[in-house]
Amino acid sequence: MSSLKVFLEVEACTGHGRCYSLAPAVFGSDDLGHCEILLAEPSEELRESTRRAVATCPEGALTIEETA
Amino acid sequence: MTNSQHKLTRVSYSAGLRQRGAYQMSSALEVNVATGEANPYTPSVAADPIPFYDALRAHCPVATMEGMEGAGVYIISRYEDVRWALKHPEIFSSDLVAVDIGQDRPLIPLQIDPPEHAKYRRVIDPTLGPHEMAPLEDEIRIRVNEVIDQFAADGHVDAHAQFSVPLPGKVFLQMTGLPLDDLDLLLNWKDEIIRPGGGLLPPEEATPRRRAAGADLYGYFADVLKDRAENPGTDLLSRFFGAEVDGREMSNDEMLDICYLFILGGLDTVTSTLDCSLAYLAQNPQYRAALVADPSRIPAAVEELLRFHTPVMQILRVIKEPTELHGVKMNTGDTVVLMLGAADTDPDEFGDTAGQYCIDREVNRHLAFGGGPHRCLGSHLARLELRVALEEWHRRIPEYQITEGFELAYSPGIREVEKLPLEFKPLEFKPLEFKPGE
Repeated sequence: MSSLKVFLEVEACTGHGRCYSLAPAVFGSDDLGHCEILLAEPSEELRESTRRAVATCPEGALTIEETA
Repeated sequence: MTNSQHKLTRVSYSAGLRQRGAYQMSSALEVNVATGEANPYTPSVAADPIPFYDALRAHCPVATMEGMEGAGVYIISRYEDVRWALKHPEIFSSDLVAVDIGQDRPLIPLQIDPPEHAKYRRVIDPTLGPHEMAPLEDEIRIRVNEVIDQFAADGHVDAHAQFSVPLPGKVFLQMTGLPLDDLDLLLNWKDEIIRPGGGLLPPEEATPRRRAAGADLYGYFADVLKDRAENPGTDLLSRFFGAEVDGREMSNDEMLDICYLFILGGLDTVTSTLDCSLAYLAQNPQYRAALVADPSRIPAAVEELLRFHTPVMQILRVIKEPTELHGVKMNTGDTVVLMLGAADTDPDEFGDTAGQYCIDREVNRHLAFGGGPHRCLGSHLARLELRVALEEWHRRIPEYQITEGFELAYSPGIREVEKLPLEFKPLEFKPLEFKPGE
């Protein structure tokens, strides 16, 4: 079965908030506005928005590991 | 001919024209490829910066400021270079007290370097974070409608003076619990500091005006803070009292230095983004129609407006450790202009459509709010204001155009439109379509 895992480099996040705007089911925010991962292994229907959110992070703080 | 050869031909041609004294054909004229000098602070760059940005990135990725040879002032323009500089405050410092914005001390946290910087951000970020901003949406929607009500029946408006300027000011006054009547006072000090006399005065005239306005601004907030210390409320400023930095309470000066930044950073930037956005949408009815037909496209459209226009064209840094980029050596104390607008239109990051407006751009890692540790403190508020402003404007005024024959003038640096006369069908009263608290 295919899988998708999200990773956050906490020190790199500076709180742009793009991730939780684009994929609010997968990413949330702490009080400072920094990213918190809500779903480390988002389900199939959330994957497209997750990929977009990860690609949009201006700090490159998020990465994805996918297996086919 | 390859794209870059084509660009080179165009820029060389432009440089030739410039020598012969022809002006205003293209903002690319403000890049002198032969000498590596450039001048971003001209009306032609402010009005149409993309040719200037293209020329900079292609030919002078580290340009020197025109007319300041030997002074150590550089302009960095490529996306990856700008991003790298933003992420390395140990080289590109924000300790910019030499840049005169009428201040007595560094603005907090804008002009403070890590690790001190993070201590202040831990206190201030939560007050402007997404959890705090979301509940303000209804109030902002009401403010937007109040502002539109003022001119709705007229069928014409100077959208700069009557919409883009008052809106962020009213939101700020509400958040800080300051009287609405003080708006003109605060806006006047802000303008006197950022662009005294419209931004075209020589330094010997501009500096005393900046200092006078700065002194007034400090004085105003000193009184406000004194009052809040005695009569605390739930507003943004009252929350500073008792807030701890480094295990101690913030001093009065520190609070003043934050207030000063709020006024300079919080009002002008949203104004300029609204100006650029409405001016662009007025001239591009296909995008405007798309937003009217489907307001759910507005958030992505806002991000693309921020990228494409990058209203805060540049931010400054000072070199703290000698470094070298594209063969240019930068020494301690040199000033660096990070050209955010050029980074945001770089094809290496945004592909072949970098120079075009794409309303639904899929991946948009723009740097309109900067990046790295100094990422704009007010970005969550700004995004909320911009989205709600464009939603309500287009709900009520779906069709509008710039008064025929009127030529827009943009101010350099922070791209405000000096006057934005729009015409539209006069509105009958259209009440809000939501109930506050829903």
